[in-house]
Amino acid sequence: MTRRTTSSESQRPARRGARASQVGLESRTRAWLRHHRAMWLDSAQRLAKRPLSSLLTMLAIAIALVLPSGLWLALDSARLLDAELDESATVTVYLDTRLDERAAMDVAARLRDQTPVAGARLVTAAEGLAEFQQGVGLEDALASLEDNPLPAAVVVTPADTDPDAVRVLASNLEAVDGVDEARVDLAWLERLRRLAELGQRLALALAGLFGLGVLLVVGNTIRLAVESRRQEIEVVTLIGATHAFVRRPFLYSGAWYGLGGGVLAIVLLVLGGIGCQRRSPPWPRVTGHTSRCRD
Amino acid sequence: MIVFEHVGKRYGGRSEALADINFRVGRGEMLFLTGHSGAGKSSLLRLIMRLEKPSRGRVLVAGHDLDRFHLSQIPYYRRQIGVVFQDHQLLFDRSVFANVALPLEIQGVEPRESARRVRAALDKVGLLYRETALPIELSSGERQRIGIARAVVNKPSLLLADEPTGNLDPQLSADIMRLFEDFNRIGTTVMVASHDLALITRLRHRVLRLREGRLVGDEEAA
Repeated sequence: MTRRTTSSESQRPARRGARASQVGLESRTRAWLRHHRAMWLDSAQRLAKRPLSSLLTMLAIAIALVLPSGLWLALDSARLLDAELDESATVTVYLDTRLDERAAMDVAARLRDQTPVAGARLVTAAEGLAEFQQGVGLEDALASLEDNPLPAAVVVTPADTDPDAVRVLASNLEAVDGVDEARVDLAWLERLRRLAELGQRLALALAGLFGLGVLLVVGNTIRLAVESRRQEIEVVTLIGATHAFVRRPFLYSGAWYGLGGGVLAIVLLVLGGIGCQRRSPPWPRVTGHTSRCRD
Repeated sequence: MIVFEHVGKRYGGRSEALADINFRVGRGEMLFLTGHSGAGKSSLLRLIMRLEKPSRGRVLVAGHDLDRFHLSQIPYYRRQIGVVFQDHQLLFDRSVFANVALPLEIQGVEPRESARRVRAALDKVGLLYRETALPIELSSGERQRIGIARAVVNKPSLLLADEPTGNLDPQLSADIMRLFEDFNRIGTTVMVASHDLALITRLRHRVLRLREGRLVGDEEAA
């Protein structure tokens, strides 16, 4: 006497009775598609009938989407998010000024062989001077110097860009013969990294918060729509509408609101992007190599 | 067609709306359900429509124990019943035609077949020429007839009516009742709840009498 036997009795409703079985699966599927199409259109028409309130709802959604994604884009264009930051975590190793170019190359080769080093690029004293002149614009002053006051330097890219690992690497490099000083400007690097992290977290938190906001806006709008069509829902339920049938128009209106809000958000972001590009110069790129004047 | 076995219905802590109701209605029968307002007529109809479950006893309709329905089966069950409401329950944002077509739309009938059946139903209640009108433009008697057209458009085997003549004058009421008799003549089981005793007595059908939730009379047709 399990549930199975009772349900297999003839006590079931005649939903597949004489008339229903004539209908068949194919035409039922067609009817289902027809209703989907009808509700898709019907919900769009209902929105179009009240353009202002529909537009306001979509705008609310759009703004809620624009704020976090705008912040994310701003972080991205400030190059705080991409790999550029890691590349900038280099250690500049200043060599002893007494070394000539050959000896400097030897030291550079030795540095390259250190285990946690991904790469090492030699900047000779002459190159350093040229770079310095270009960067600072002190050509006249520097030209008046008899000797090149700059040491040769090796820009070392650590394999591990974790700040602690970089600091350890720097002190190891300093112990190498012919190395005067290994400098890594970790403080600003870390600050930048923290800032990026903060920005990222802020964007995520905002995205979560505003995502919830979007749900509430759409949910509330649909709730009002349901409220205004309560009588209709009651009537169709009384004459045999399934829950899916009743829900369908509201799901489609929600989808329309979401779509409209999304498109508006994209438009706003593109417009904002164009506006920003026109006003502010491109962000300066961060480089790890800093020349240093000695003596 | 309809079997009530020791049916009782209680809402919350109040006294019983229905108590120990027993009766049977044969297929193709026409009967009235009468009693003062609050006697339990509407509760009884709501049980048949499976809007509510009885607190006690069993209700069987067309061989189905309504208590055993899974929630998802109820809509399909309701499609076999036509219901006429006192306040007609038409949707005012669509035409007469669309109102009558609603049950067919729910069942997914092909539009062409649906239009044919809607026109047949409208013709039956004598309002075919009003198909493009909005319900707001109709008189209350016309609205009630549209409500009846909607109830019969999918040819239900059972037609229920809850005070269908509640707001109508005697002449219109008699017209409405004649419509019900017509549907009964082609084999539909018809159950009409009404407190219009004068009209009911004239029509000579079986009458179930309710008083304070109890069945106090079951008079066969004269």
